[in-house]
Amino acid sequence: MKIAWKQIVWRPETLLLAVFVAEFVIFAQTGNNFTSTSNLFEIARLSVTIGLLALAMTPVILTGGIDLSVGSLLGLCAVCFGKLWRDFGLPPLLAAVCTLVIGALAGGLNAALITRLRLPPLIVTLGSYSLFRGLAEALTRGVDNFTGFPASFLFLGQGYLFGVIPAQVPIFLAAAIAIWLLVHCTVFGRSYRAIGFSPEGARFAGLPVESRIASVYLLSGVMAAVAALIYVAHVGQAKADAGSGFELLAVTAVVLGGTSIFGGVGTVQGTVLGLGVLAVLRNGLFMSDQPSELANILTGALLLFILAGGVAVEKLSALRARRSAPVPPLSHE
Amino acid sequence: MNRRRALATLLAAAAASATGCKKQENAVAGGGGEMLTVAFLPKSKGNAYFVACKKGADEAAKELGIKLLYEGPTEPDPARQNEIVEQWIQRGVDVIAAACENKEGIATALRKAREKGIKVVTYDADTLPDARDFFCNQATPQGIAQALMEESAKAVGGQGEYAIITASLTASNMNEWQKHIAETNAQRFPEMKQIALRPCDDLKDKAFAEATALVNANSNLKLIMAICSPAVPGSAEAVKQAGKTESVKVVGLGLPNENRRYVKEGVTPSVILWNVGDLGYLTIQAAVAVSKGSLKQGDTAFSAGRLGELKIDGSDIVLGKPFVFTKDNIDQFDF
Repeated sequence: MKIAWKQIVWRPETLLLAVFVAEFVIFAQTGNNFTSTSNLFEIARLSVTIGLLALAMTPVILTGGIDLSVGSLLGLCAVCFGKLWRDFGLPPLLAAVCTLVIGALAGGLNAALITRLRLPPLIVTLGSYSLFRGLAEALTRGVDNFTGFPASFLFLGQGYLFGVIPAQVPIFLAAAIAIWLLVHCTVFGRSYRAIGFSPEGARFAGLPVESRIASVYLLSGVMAAVAALIYVAHVGQAKADAGSGFELLAVTAVVLGGTSIFGGVGTVQGTVLGLGVLAVLRNGLFMSDQPSELANILTGALLLFILAGGVAVEKLSALRARRSAPVPPLSHE
Repeated sequence: MNRRRALATLLAAAAASATGCKKQENAVAGGGGEMLTVAFLPKSKGNAYFVACKKGADEAAKELGIKLLYEGPTEPDPARQNEIVEQWIQRGVDVIAAACENKEGIATALRKAREKGIKVVTYDADTLPDARDFFCNQATPQGIAQALMEESAKAVGGQGEYAIITASLTASNMNEWQKHIAETNAQRFPEMKQIALRPCDDLKDKAFAEATALVNANSNLKLIMAICSPAVPGSAEAVKQAGKTESVKVVGLGLPNENRRYVKEGVTPSVILWNVGDLGYLTIQAAVAVSKGSLKQGDTAFSAGRLGELKIDGSDIVLGKPFVFTKDNIDQFDF
């Protein structure tokens, strides 16, 4: 029992949880209506778009990769959805399905370049980051803005179930549970960490490394399309600049949540917690009438603090382990 | 051991504050004597134009004893504007004053605010009429056109040929201005004659090229009237480089900072725009009056503090005559 406690306390997520709690304690005092039920749901609502990207980013980073194209892909999918609906006259549902296919194709492109040509994910997705945004701008010539979507579609981003629960929150929960099950409870998903830890080792162990890596980028592409639909429904418009900078916010949430950028280590629940810490920080500062610049400063400071804290905790526990271990025999030297 | 105690303390503190803040929430809901809170939303936060607006807004806020919140996107971003409005709804403010980047985009969020009992006024750029109580309109098409024509006539002594450089031949607001410019021209300045109308695609370089061509092709040209903001410095630079600063003048609708050099050198005797600080001042005056109930639908005039009595046209509060920047006053403005 005692040992179990110690293990929990020494995990990097504990530090994050402490920060999360501290945020609540502070903002409950300084914010206006911060702890009202509707504001807590609002925090959840505003973090769904980034949250979906961060959820899909977790397996990507677990395999030791990164996907910088998701923000641009969100913009491309948003514009495609608007064009399919308005200019091609498709009903919203059909346009949404086509958008998901576009997301999958775009993710597939990343996957093919990374696994077939063995190009580094950072370079590939840096390229598609520009490519997707450029396509979105070309489709709209940078000025076209799709608006006037039907209310039934807008409900996805603006509506409330039972009058209190934002419509997109259950979608986020479903995605979070699905990805958690995939990453932590299936043989398929557990191989992501093996690949991230050592791709060569995974290959020698007989894992189909290429197809597993392809799957994470495909998932990331589809998720960017889902996020795009929710984004469009939320803001009621689709423009080429939708989602710019979202990729880095998603990476921040994942890394904050304890996933190693080198791959192999990390959890989905950590990502959700990281996302929560970021969202609560932004909302809490807003409710306390603080300027948004401060949110950026504190987000950066927090990320560095948590990462440094994680390393310190590791070093300390290694030191403890060495102290409590018996003195190594001299012959070792 | 130590760490566990620390964690327990934190959790206890969280629990204590969770119960504590319920009380606080009630207090906020029940307390009536609080300061009125007005949230002021620019199109983009760092834009000198809106910073100048905010200065006027601060002045009004101080005068009226209200709390002013200022937040906006760092770059013009309709989605971020929505997010900010939604958070203000959660925070609880009395009035939202918004300059709308996208008319339709922000309407849903503003309507939601009104449903929750928050008053909404817009300024600089309006939303859909049913999403706000009043729009603080900085200038009417007639007002802009008359000021442009008057200043142009003044610059050339009431007679001579002039050319207009516009953004595009299809821009509806500019066509509206041209209609009123032609009317004012015919009625009050019969000796002024418009000889050309050229589009510049809202680009300074294109305006420069058009103005150069105009100046070289028409030896009788006395003046260029630039009715989109990039065309004013563009035309002035063209006149200067053509060496015609003595014979050709530029008058236009633009920002003081972009034209300061040419105004001081005398190429551009006057630049027309509204007084942006006054627009911010009026917006806060209107926001507070709407919230207190002293300004309601159907009113035809509004007394806006130091600005005096202003006309209300439908649900538009009109700031009044455009402001003329000349070399005598331009240094008082920074936007």
